[in-house]
Amino acid sequence: MNRTLSSPSPEAFGTDPWKTRIDRTFARALVLPLVLAIGLLVLLLGDTLYRSVSVQVVRADEGPGRTYPFGLAATEVLRQELLARGYTEEEARSLLQDPTERRVLFLQNRVELMWNTQEGPFRYVVTGLRDERVADFSLLEGLRRWEELKAGLGEGERLVLNPWLDQSFLTRTPSRSPLTAGIGVAIWGTIWVLSLALLIAIPVGIGTAILLEEYLREGTLNRILEVNLRNLAGVPSIVYGLLGLAIFVREMGLGPTILSAALTLGLLGIPVIVVTARESLRAVPESLRQAAFALGATRRQVVFRVVVPAALPGMVTGVILSAARLIGEAAPLLLVGAAAYVPFYPTGPLSEYTVIPVQIYLWVSMNIPEFARVAAAGILVMLLVLSGLYFLALYLRNRFRREW
Amino acid sequence: MSLEMLKEHETVRTAPVSEAEALVDVRGLSLWYGKKQALYDISVRFPRNQVTAITGPSGCGKSTLLRSLNRMNDLVPGVRVEGEVLYEGVNIYDPRVDPVAVRRHIGMVFQKPNPFPKTIFENVAFGLRLMGVKGSELEDRVVEALKRAALWEEVKDRFKKESGLRLSGGQQQRLCIARAIAVEPPLLLMDEPTSALDPIATQAIEDLILELKERYTVVIVTHNMQQAARVSDRTLFMHLGVLVEEGPTEVIFTKPKHPYTEAYITGRFG
Amino acid sequence: MEILKQRPSRNPKEVLTFALLVFLSSITLLTTLGVILSLVGDVAQFFRRVPLTEFLFAPEWTPLFADPRYGISPLIAGTFLVTLIALLVAVPLGLALAIYLSEYASGAARARIKGTLELFEGIPTVVFGYFALLFVTPLLQRVIPDLNIFNPLSAGLVMGFAIIPYISNVAADAMESVPRSIREAAYALGARPYEVALRVVFPAAISGIIAAIILATSRAIGETMIVAIAAGQRPILTLDPRETIATMTSYIVQAATGDQPTGSTAYYALFAVGFTLFLLTLFLNILAQYVVERYRERYE
Repeated sequence: MNRTLSSPSPEAFGTDPWKTRIDRTFARALVLPLVLAIGLLVLLLGDTLYRSVSVQVVRADEGPGRTYPFGLAATEVLRQELLARGYTEEEARSLLQDPTERRVLFLQNRVELMWNTQEGPFRYVVTGLRDERVADFSLLEGLRRWEELKAGLGEGERLVLNPWLDQSFLTRTPSRSPLTAGIGVAIWGTIWVLSLALLIAIPVGIGTAILLEEYLREGTLNRILEVNLRNLAGVPSIVYGLLGLAIFVREMGLGPTILSAALTLGLLGIPVIVVTARESLRAVPESLRQAAFALGATRRQVVFRVVVPAALPGMVTGVILSAARLIGEAAPLLLVGAAAYVPFYPTGPLSEYTVIPVQIYLWVSMNIPEFARVAAAGILVMLLVLSGLYFLALYLRNRFRREW
Repeated sequence: MSLEMLKEHETVRTAPVSEAEALVDVRGLSLWYGKKQALYDISVRFPRNQVTAITGPSGCGKSTLLRSLNRMNDLVPGVRVEGEVLYEGVNIYDPRVDPVAVRRHIGMVFQKPNPFPKTIFENVAFGLRLMGVKGSELEDRVVEALKRAALWEEVKDRFKKESGLRLSGGQQQRLCIARAIAVEPPLLLMDEPTSALDPIATQAIEDLILELKERYTVVIVTHNMQQAARVSDRTLFMHLGVLVEEGPTEVIFTKPKHPYTEAYITGRFG
Repeated sequence: MEILKQRPSRNPKEVLTFALLVFLSSITLLTTLGVILSLVGDVAQFFRRVPLTEFLFAPEWTPLFADPRYGISPLIAGTFLVTLIALLVAVPLGLALAIYLSEYASGAARARIKGTLELFEGIPTVVFGYFALLFVTPLLQRVIPDLNIFNPLSAGLVMGFAIIPYISNVAADAMESVPRSIREAAYALGARPYEVALRVVFPAAISGIIAAIILATSRAIGETMIVAIAAGQRPILTLDPRETIATMTSYIVQAATGDQPTGSTAYYALFAVGFTLFLLTLFLNILAQYVVERYRERYE
C-alpha cells in the first residue's frame, strides 16, 4: 500500500471533517464495482443452477407413463417398460438380448433418474424421443403446485422433478428433443479439437518464447517477432475464424472438420502460450545461466538442461490456463464449421464435430424454453471443467513454488 | 591520483612470476563495455598451484579481469577485448578458439551461491555429463568432488535425493565448489566467494581454498583484505581498471611500494 | 593444443536447435500473413462487385434480398451502440477498481481482488451471452416495456462487466508504476488519500489509463458471443438501444452459420465486414501503443 504517512490526529491539527467523510465514502465507493461483479457472478451461477432443474408433466409417447424404483438395473427398467407398453415377455427378452436391438432401444429411450416423481422420490423414468412435454415449470413453482399437478395427471402422463444435468446428459448426443439432448458429442469434440490445437500451439509457443528469451534477446528479428506477437494478441478471435474459413476450410479443402478447427484454435492459442512461457523463463534467475556457462555448457545445453527444466512448472501451469481459455472459444469455431446438428461421435480428425461452447450457443439461440434448460446444464458442465483446470493450475503453482 | 596519471604509470611488481611458473599469462589486456573502457592494458602472470588474490575498491575491474580469464565477459553484448590471455601458452582470445571449450578447462565460483534446482548429485554431475561421463565413473567422480569440497560427510546419506537448494548458505557454496572442481579444471576462479556467507561458513571456505591449492591453481577476487592476507600467496591491487601493484601477499600488505596501494591497505579509501 | 581443436559451439546440434526455434517462431509471422491474405483476397472480390461508396455510405445491409444492398453503416452503428453502452459501464467501474487496487488495497486484499478478476476473465463469453438473454433481458423488460427480446442494452450492460478486468488490470498497472516519491510529496503537503489518488496519481498515469480504455474498446468491438446471443442479428441503422440490431461480429456469425454458397457476393461480404473489423481493432491497438510510448516520458 502506498500510504507512507499517518494522518495527523484531528484535534492536534484541526483537520477538515468534511474531507475525512469524503475520503471514507470514496474508498467505499471504489469497492462498488467489485461488489457488483461478484453479485453478477452469484446471479449467474444461481440462475444457471436454478434453471437446470425443472418440474415437468410429460406425456409418454408409448406406454403408461410409469416410474420405476431406484436400484433396478437399466436393462431391467427397460424390460418392465416394454412389458407395460404391451410387449410380451418373450418379445421383451429377445429385444433386450439382441445387441443391435438393445442398442436401438437405448438410443431411442433414456433411462433417467428423477429426483422426485408422482410415485415418490428417486425413481427411474423411461423417456422417449417422441415424449411430449405437456408443461414445464420452474423449480419453485413446480414444487409449490406439486399436489395439484399430480392430481391433474392424465392418461400416460407422469410428473417428474427433472435435473437436466445428469449422467445421461453427459453421454448423450444432441437431439431435436430437449429431453434426450446431451453434451457427450460436444465433450468429445472439445477433447479432440483441444488436443490437436495444443499439439500446434505448445511447440510453436514455447519455441518462440525460448527464442525470444534465450537466444535473441534483442535485434531486428526480436523486434519483428515482438511487434507481430503483440498485434496477433489484439486480433479478435472471430478474425482467426475467418482465416480458418478461408484457408483451412476452403483453400486447403479440409472442410468443416476437426482438423480445421484444431489448426484455427491452435493459431489462436499461440500468443497466449508465448506470454506465459516467457514469464516462466524470465523468472529463472540469471545466476543459474551464468553457472552453467561457466561450466562450459553451450547455449543449447544451458537452455535445455538448466533453464527449461527450472521453468517447467511455470510453463505447464501456463499451458493449462491457456487450454482453459481455448475451451471457451466459440466464435472462431462457429465460422470453421462446428456444425449445428451433429448427432454422432467424432471418429477422427476429419470428422464433423461440435464443441461445448458452440453447442451451448446453439441451444441458447433456439429460443425454446426447454432448450434453455439444456443450455444451463451445458454451462454447468463447462464451468465444472474450467474450475477443474483452474484448480489444477493453482495446485501446481503452489506445489512447485520455489525459492531460488 | 586520477585515471590519467594511473594509466601512464607502470605496474609496480615485486618478485614477478616467470613464464615457466605461470599457468595464465595476461598480456596487454584491455576491455570495453560498449564505449566505456573497463580494463587498461593489464599484464600479469598467475603462478601454478598458488592462490592469487585480486583486490581493490568497488568498481576497479577485479571481477571484469577475473571473468576475462574464462571468457565469461563474452556473454555481455557489446563487449570488446584487446590483448592476449595465454592459458598454458595458448591465447584463449584467438579467433579460432571456441569460448565454450575454454570454460571446460576453467572452473568458476560466484559470489552468491547458485546451485541448480536439482539434486546435490545432479549439481555436481552437471559438468561431468557435459563431458560425456556416465555410469559408475560419474558417480565416483561426484563423490570425489564432494569429498574434496569438504561437503561429503554432511550429505553422504542424502546427496542423491535431496535438492541442492535445501542446504545452508555455506553448504551451497561448497556444493558450487564441488560442482566446479568435479571436472578437474587446472584453474579455479572465485569471485568474492564468501561475501554472502556468515563468518563460520567463511572460515570453512577459506580453509578449503588452502587445501585446494595443492591440486588447482586458484585466482580469487576479494574486497576483504584480511581474507586476501589469510589465503593468498600473491596479491594484485587494482584501481579504476588499472593494475597498480602486484607481488607476494606479504609484501603487498606490509611493504607496499605504491602510495595508492598503501592508502588502500591502511583503509584511507575504498 | 587441445583447446584449439575443440569446438562444442559448432556442434550441428547447436545449429539445428537454433534453426528449429527460428522455424517455430516463423509460424507466428505466417499467421499474420495468413490473416491478411485470407481477408484481402476475398475482400478484393467483394469490391469488384460492390462499389466502395455503397459499402461506406449506403444505409442498408441486406445481402439476402432480391435487390441486395451492402452498406456497412447499420453494422457499424450496432457495434458502436453496444460498445458505447459497454464502455459506460466498464470505464467507471474498471477505473474505480483500478484506483482501489493501486491506492487503497492491502497486499492480501489486492491478491484476492486480482484473483476475482482473473476468475471473471476466465468465464467464456457464451456464458455471459446466456446471462444477458435469459436473465438480464427479462429483468429489463419489466422496467422498459417496449424493450425487444434481442437488444443492445442487455448485451452492452453484460459486456461492460465482462470487460472490467481488462480496464482495471492495465489501468492499475499504470497507476502502480507511478513513482512513490510523487505520492509521498503529495502526502507531505497534507493531501488525503482520495486527493492523492485523483489529483496526483490519476493524471500521472493518464497515458496508461487512456491506453487501457482504448484496448478495452478494441476488445468490445471484437466481442462476438455476447452480441450474437443477446443483441440480435438484424442489421438496421438505429441508435435506439431498445431495438434489435446487428453488430459486425454478430453478422459474421449469422452469415457463416447460414450456408453461403462460395463465390456469391454474400459470401465475400462476410470478409469485407471481417476486414473492416480487423482494420478497426488494429488501428485501436496501434493507437493504444502509441499513446503509451509517446506520453511515457512526460511523467517520469
